[in-house]
Amino acid sequence: MLGGKLKKSIPWWLLFTAIMSLMPLLISTRSIRILIFANFIAIFAMSWDILSGYTGYISFGHPFLIGVAGYTSAILTHQYSMPLYVSMPAAVLLTMVAGILFFFPALRTRGTYFALVTLAFMEVTYHLVEVVKPELTGGTRGLTGLPLLATGAVPNYYVSLFAMIVIAVSLWLLGKSGGGLVFSAIRMDEDAVKSAGLNTTKFKLFAFTLSALVAGIGGVLFTHYLGSISPRGMFDINFLFTILIAALIGGEHTIIGPILGAYFLTFLLEYSRPYIPGAWRYLFYGMIALIVYNYAPRGIFTIATIAGKWLGRKMTRRERYDQQAA
Amino acid sequence: MTSKLLEVKGLTKKFGGIFAVYDLSFHVEEGESLGLIGPNGSGKTTTFNLIMREHKQDEGEIFFAGKEISRLPTHERVKIGISRTYQIPRPFSGMSITKNIRVGIMPDEILSVLRMNSESELERKIGQSVGFDKNQLKAYPHELSMGNLRRLELARTMATNPTLLLLDEVFAGLTAGEISELSALIKAKKMEGLTFIIVSHDLKSLAPLVDRVVVVSFGQLIAEGSFEEVIANEKVKEAYLGR
Repeated sequence: MLGGKLKKSIPWWLLFTAIMSLMPLLISTRSIRILIFANFIAIFAMSWDILSGYTGYISFGHPFLIGVAGYTSAILTHQYSMPLYVSMPAAVLLTMVAGILFFFPALRTRGTYFALVTLAFMEVTYHLVEVVKPELTGGTRGLTGLPLLATGAVPNYYVSLFAMIVIAVSLWLLGKSGGGLVFSAIRMDEDAVKSAGLNTTKFKLFAFTLSALVAGIGGVLFTHYLGSISPRGMFDINFLFTILIAALIGGEHTIIGPILGAYFLTFLLEYSRPYIPGAWRYLFYGMIALIVYNYAPRGIFTIATIAGKWLGRKMTRRERYDQQAA
Repeated sequence: MTSKLLEVKGLTKKFGGIFAVYDLSFHVEEGESLGLIGPNGSGKTTTFNLIMREHKQDEGEIFFAGKEISRLPTHERVKIGISRTYQIPRPFSGMSITKNIRVGIMPDEILSVLRMNSESELERKIGQSVGFDKNQLKAYPHELSMGNLRRLELARTMATNPTLLLLDEVFAGLTAGEISELSALIKAKKMEGLTFIIVSHDLKSLAPLVDRVVVVSFGQLIAEGSFEEVIANEKVKEAYLGR
């Protein structure tokens, strides 16, 4: 059952959904395309957050999971002419299996070592996809002409928005449940969690498969939105950092933070395009990430929370003043 | 009639070339309070770590309620009723007292854990049973004194519903007032039927709490008996004060 605090959040989620649903009526098609990309980055950042933000097992290899999903569905549809309703669930399932593979290093390593192992997963897959069976994966050039889930900006926007909101609400509820508490406790002191009688291996495996499930859903939808997939596009370090920085700049272990971070970052990158050319934009967003992370380590989420509380206090004070005046 | 609740036999643990615990055997009876004392570095905390399987023993066996538990992982040992506190309190730093206690209460089952999302009466009860008042339960570990951090450690172990509690340096860093409050709490819990193994350097505070004492030095048992007996033992004096 939903607790009091959770019930209070329902109107906010409904308001957010309503505003986002009205967006196609309010903004240009170009901005809708940017929002679609932001929705996907939000899904990937939330997938990262439920694993790394909550349990403290920092993944540098999320594009590996997203890539497994994307490539599986791409190969099944392109090479084996399977319909999307078969290829997409199959790809998500395989991504969850890949999530378990991802989990094995976590039995022995933590912190930087774990992060490096996961980075190796991404790099190795990048080269494997290029070299091993290029006739299947499309090699360096990847696969193009994949079936699309929807055509046109607006239908694709609603697909990405629906997926993003369903994932966001589910993960947010999980974060507020005992599950989120155990994940956070693992991040703070894993041995103390074992001493509380909890099998941390089981809970970590759950976090890894859940993260893979979300990455898998995002991965297949993203691939069939783009209609193409290539190793350079998928297993790119910039793609990884966009996901990571979206989560960090937005506020890790909050679920809402990565969504805010994804929107902020995507719009920042897109709107700075005419003014800051090429790779210089990445330097620019790196600097912003450093500034935000230095002064507000919990990211935009904290800034928004503090601003909300300040506004709330101000309004209550104003109401009290008005009542007294009356 | 009493029976052995926990028994360790020939416990040995080596770190590199050094024996932290060597061929250590002792037991604690049901409802008993056992003091585990010895000079710095004598292997007391390592013994606790071995009993909880935070370290794996190189040799030896551990029995709990007559069953061998030598290969049981930590969380399974907690489930059968063994729980511990840490020498340096290890609270979940980003969580309030109630949430810290909640982690201890949680069943080791994903679906049941997912259903828990609000405060329960049980966690308030456990918090209050170790001496926190209602307002304090919302506090975070960084706001607590050492005495209250020790209470929180105790609350978290109580949350796992133990029959045997291992208390590591439970009086370290406490004021005289806090020591007497905590001692009263331990006595009350003992009256409720809990069994204790208590490690402490504060022998004066430990004396009234324990029924029997085991003394270790360089990982080996050097004396065993009532508090008065072991204090008078020449080997113990030598271990603490040197020749």
